[in-house]
Amino acid sequence: MSYLLIIDDDEDFATAVATVLRVAGHDVRIELDLSAAVRSMTERRPDLVLLDVMFPEDSTGGFELARKIRQSHDAVKDVPILMLTAVNTRFPLGFSAKDIDEDWLPVTDFLEKPVDLDVLAERVDAILANRRRTRAQAPPAAS
Amino acid sequence: MMTFADPTPRSAYELPLSAPDARSSAAVTPDAAALWREALLIGNVLWFLRLRWAVIAALAAFGLAGLAFPGVFHALRLRPQVGWPFLAAALLLLANLGFLGHARLIVRNPLRWGATWNLWIQIVVDLLVLTMVVHFLGSLETPTAFLYLAHVVLACIFFSRRRSLVVVAIASGLYAVCVGMERLQIIQTPGIYLDPLLRQALTSHPAFPWLTLLSALGVYFVVWFLASHLSELVRGQEWKLAEANRRLTLAQQEKARHMLRTTHELKAPFAAIAANAQLLLKGHCGVLPEQAREVVSRIAARCRRLAVEIQEMLQLANLQSAEEQPTPTRLDLAETVRWAITRVGATAQERRVGVEQSLEPASVVAIEDHVKMLLTNVIANAVVYSTEGGSIRVQCGETPSDGPVIVVEDEGIGIPSDKLPRIFDDYYRTEEAVRHNKDSTGLGLAIVRRVAVSHGIRVRVESAPGCGTRVTMRFPAAGRGESA
Repeated sequence: MSYLLIIDDDEDFATAVATVLRVAGHDVRIELDLSAAVRSMTERRPDLVLLDVMFPEDSTGGFELARKIRQSHDAVKDVPILMLTAVNTRFPLGFSAKDIDEDWLPVTDFLEKPVDLDVLAERVDAILANRRRTRAQAPPAAS
Repeated sequence: MMTFADPTPRSAYELPLSAPDARSSAAVTPDAAALWREALLIGNVLWFLRLRWAVIAALAAFGLAGLAFPGVFHALRLRPQVGWPFLAAALLLLANLGFLGHARLIVRNPLRWGATWNLWIQIVVDLLVLTMVVHFLGSLETPTAFLYLAHVVLACIFFSRRRSLVVVAIASGLYAVCVGMERLQIIQTPGIYLDPLLRQALTSHPAFPWLTLLSALGVYFVVWFLASHLSELVRGQEWKLAEANRRLTLAQQEKARHMLRTTHELKAPFAAIAANAQLLLKGHCGVLPEQAREVVSRIAARCRRLAVEIQEMLQLANLQSAEEQPTPTRLDLAETVRWAITRVGATAQERRVGVEQSLEPASVVAIEDHVKMLLTNVIANAVVYSTEGGSIRVQCGETPSDGPVIVVEDEGIGIPSDKLPRIFDDYYRTEEAVRHNKDSTGLGLAIVRRVAVSHGIRVRVESAPGCGTRVTMRFPAAGRGESA
């Protein structure tokens, strides 16, 4: 069972996503604001973060948090991030999976809202499986 | 008025009466105005420097002509001028190099000993060198006194009326001092005319020198009055135009930000409705009766359609905005077509429409996002308006005569000929299209039109009802040496 953290200010959407992911066998926690999400990640490291882009206090808060996670020096630095956004927009126009780079959008993958929940569940499984494979292939850390 | 004692410390904030938008977009800060003027002046500095190189060249050529062709001067009853033109050219050359160095500094760091200082020193140095020229050519018997007018007019263009008047005063003072010193025989020169009697006759007249001096000064002030007045008018208009342009740019940026936010605010609720409708449809909340299932399916489908429509409205609005467009890059159209085909793959599969591809490399310079939008819309239309089980053909290639070309062809419902001219209009949908596909927004081909117009892509549509549609897109060839 993987521990997934959904960070989205839309509680209705987050609850629906959480329901499907729980049925798929994951342990899911929802955080509705960014500061609570940061605290939550410090308390327990998630295996995957599902992150929204626009938050009430910061219209690019999701991007900022993604960058902060990647630039941090602790255990969350490498957590996969699946970005869920209602605005498929690299200002002024759309971004694509090709645009996922460290400077612009340091996330593992993204899905545009409204999402097909089956596609979302598949994407989550794929990211987690990839993560497990990468870890298995990685050489053991020197003690 | 009665107040209540309240021991609790509280933070306070009072709403400012001026609207935040007005403060941020309409008001001009003193810094912004100063930067705008500085930018204009820097342009003037650079132009003035270029002009001076021409003057330096003319002075040097004049000196060389005196050395190389004295006979020509003598034939014209003129005295060849050999020493001072080189001196004046050298002085101006050194000064211009200094001004240029300073100009480069102020381009990088405006407002610190800025363009105004540079122009002032340029004008003063010019006037000093010009006085030397006037003296050597003949301050009274030649029309050289009117050379000062060039600087009077330039000062009126560069500076305010008061400052340009100071330039007129400096020019008048220098010319008066030159004439006065010559009259007092403190400085002497034979002048450019060979015939000594000419100068003698003119200058021996008791009133002539002073009349010439006063006439010249009078002309300086009249020219200053007219030029400074006209310059103020032009400057005022220029400022108004720049200000209107600045406001338009800010309004455009504000509109784009607002559009982005509105898109989010509109799409987010649909995402929540769609997600919850899916929960119902997938049985996470128990098994639904068949009729209820149909209703929930319609709700989910409508949510998806609205989300697409909002996204297309945003794309269309962004295409209309000239500001902040991405930079064109060199693209291989075949790659972009492949991307667009992948994008519509799920729809093609759902409708059992086959996609035949014949893709050869074709290089263009274009905004990648825009070309992707254009191709996705054209290919998606071919798929959506095909009959179930049909197929579409997508060809891409480049020929020396036609340049890069993409052809998208379907065997679908087609478009009646009288409706073809309207298919690129915003929100236009033919009745046949609506009957075939209720989810059409009428914005796809409007997006295609905007991208085609902005990139110079020639789009030709050939169609017949019931037989299908062929869309040919001819792209401008990528010019050699254009940046990738």
